[in-house]
Amino acid sequence: MAVAYRTHVSIIADILLTAKEYSYEGRDNGATVTNLIRRANVPYQRLSSIVSQLTRSGLLQTIPDNSTKYRISDKGIEFLNAYTDFKDFAENFGLKV
Amino acid sequence: MNLPFEIVMDLLGLSISAFIGRFAFSGYSSIGSPTLLRLTFAFCAIAVGFAILLGSLFAGSEQYYRLMLTVGLGFQAIGYFFIAFSHSLKSFDFVRRPKGYHMSFFFAPLVTAFIIPGNSIEHLIRSISFILLVYVSIETMASYMQTRKTSTLLLGSGLGLLATSELMAWYNFIFPGSIFYYIAISIKVAGFAMIFIPFSRFGMKSGLGRVNPQVGSGI
Repeated sequence: MAVAYRTHVSIIADILLTAKEYSYEGRDNGATVTNLIRRANVPYQRLSSIVSQLTRSGLLQTIPDNSTKYRISDKGIEFLNAYTDFKDFAENFGLKV
Repeated sequence: MNLPFEIVMDLLGLSISAFIGRFAFSGYSSIGSPTLLRLTFAFCAIAVGFAILLGSLFAGSEQYYRLMLTVGLGFQAIGYFFIAFSHSLKSFDFVRRPKGYHMSFFFAPLVTAFIIPGNSIEHLIRSISFILLVYVSIETMASYMQTRKTSTLLLGSGLGLLATSELMAWYNFIFPGSIFYYIAISIKVAGFAMIFIPFSRFGMKSGLGRVNPQVGSGI
């Protein structure tokens, strides 16, 4: 049976979605690396490189009093909205973003 | 030659493909997806192709007309290639296939040799476009069978119409000066219109594909 592989952009979207869930939906403490690994289903090595990339880009930010927890930024939410739109756009072609 | 008809059809094709290309580019600049970059290249190449085809109608001599026609069709073939390439990346896993799998691609030229005429570059390009469009159309229809999305069906049908238009244009080679040429152009624009329908709602929602500088991810 064919395995559906996720693209890099969809992995980023999964990480941001998890961070969003831990940032706004009743749990505003932010997501730990363990939360991100479990929900986004990404190994630690890969996750840490993606998280540092997202932090540099301003899509994720660390909690001011706890640098091991992450929350989504406003720019990250804009990215997720754009991702949803353009995911539909590409899926119309039968493609993945 | 029915000049106003061809001008209108080429302008329609140019505006539709430029619109989709612009929208795909705004997607690429927002989320940095390589798929959207390939779609941007594809539709920009198709739009440039239409612009050159439009310019060919005002060429001074028959020689320049033929040259510009061939270059325009070449650009459009490049555009179709980028769409087909995106599908091939999705469908063929080039890393994890068993040994000997890649050898099957060497049989492709044997198949195409029966289809491609060697006496005209213009018709050779049309044949390549036809093969690419049939492939993309089949892939899109296969996606429709999985997702059952109406927009995917419209897109697959639109790509199928584009393939049919290339076939009709090929018949014009056998029966020059016949009605096949006008049928081909009409079907081509109808195909682009069908491709445009699913994207019109995206375009309207996002301000006709304008790039929002706040969204750019920088990744």
